[in-house]
Amino acid sequence: MYPPEFGYFKPQSLEEALDFLEKEDARPLAGGQSLIPMLKLRIISTGYLVDLNPLSSLSFVKDEGSQVRVGALTRHAEITSNTMIKTEVPLLYEASRQVGDVQVRNVGTIGGSVSNADPAADYPSVLTALDAKIVTTSKGGSREINALNFFKGPFTTSLNEGELVKEIVFPKLNGYKTSYVKVVRRAGDYAMVSIAVALRLKEGKVEDVRLSYSGVSDTPYRAKEAEKVLMERELNEENIKKAAEVAASGANPPSDVRGSSWYRKEVMKVITVKTLGDMK
Amino acid sequence: MVKPGEKVKIKVKVNGVQYEGEVPPRKLLVHFLRDDLGLTGTKVGCDTTTCGACTVILNGKSVKSCTLLAVQADGGEILTIEGLGNGKLHRIQEAFSNNFALQCGFCTPGMIMQTYYLLKEKGSEISEEEIRDGLHGNICRCTGYQNIIKAVEEASKVRS
Repeated sequence: MYPPEFGYFKPQSLEEALDFLEKEDARPLAGGQSLIPMLKLRIISTGYLVDLNPLSSLSFVKDEGSQVRVGALTRHAEITSNTMIKTEVPLLYEASRQVGDVQVRNVGTIGGSVSNADPAADYPSVLTALDAKIVTTSKGGSREINALNFFKGPFTTSLNEGELVKEIVFPKLNGYKTSYVKVVRRAGDYAMVSIAVALRLKEGKVEDVRLSYSGVSDTPYRAKEAEKVLMERELNEENIKKAAEVAASGANPPSDVRGSSWYRKEVMKVITVKTLGDMK
Repeated sequence: MVKPGEKVKIKVKVNGVQYEGEVPPRKLLVHFLRDDLGLTGTKVGCDTTTCGACTVILNGKSVKSCTLLAVQADGGEILTIEGLGNGKLHRIQEAFSNNFALQCGFCTPGMIMQTYYLLKEKGSEISEEEIRDGLHGNICRCTGYQNIIKAVEEASKVRS
């Protein structure tokens, strides 16, 4: 399958890339592991691809004490193999190992995945669970957007024309337990349902909890009502079950090849109960 | 800048040989390898980044060559199934043969290139679980995978 015809621009600097993106009918190419299939299937077309891969300044992982910065062009495999991320942002590490397969992780980037905003992708629920910040850049300047305000709909974000994700800032959650659990129809697939949890317990009671899901809505779904059910309460079977019910009743999953809306809600309940149960 | 419809010059080293070619930006790496260079060992299976039959090694990393543009490989080094054994069978190919790890053979070049990458990364200490996880981007519709796992285990123990 050939993609439709397009032009190609290889910028030497970020400024050149932003200039070109603003002037022309162009799309940025990062890892391309979603973009190229979508071009091949002719779901999208573009005048030009702007190849960001030469811009090595967008590929980095920085430990800044209370937070970790990850450059947009950082490959999934680089996140998985980064020992600092494994200890400081374990939820991101867990999710990065479950993206696609080895070959896809060698090429695909975190900035590309986040910008693509597939509602069943792994990172969006992780970002919303952690209250990560997305730093963008454009000719007009830089913006910092909270993950909860970034995802607007399926494959739709609050990025403007000519604006790029530059880096993602993850707060380090000290004293939290985290877990990312994904249910797939077959190995390597997008999530039918996945859950990202960050939880802090104090003397057996829930001091803070974040529950976020992929695959159950048109954006990552942060189940704030379900979080309220657990707050200040004991993490016991009864409360967990109640939270799972509340989370599922607030979701609006699609019916598609990966599962019906009803089934996805059932899976949501099961993985919520199991994941939180394992964190007791 | 290359305008739509124009071609772009690329230089790549494939299996140790330097090649130069002109490609339209939309040409996929797998088509460059197969149609322009005649290296038809690399297969097009699903053509949707799922099956892994098109797996090659680009700059030391395994990639799906149906999901990369040829122009993205410009200046890079590629290893395909043709370059693996230097005219003889590579130990991974030997192990696939010894263990009947193929039936129709269509997925085999991709399986072997991905195995090559896994063993390069993990060495001889690789566990069955790591093999299964590392190969899940490669689909085989004949063997049921059992003999492929055995072959990878055998290859991991043979000294190169």
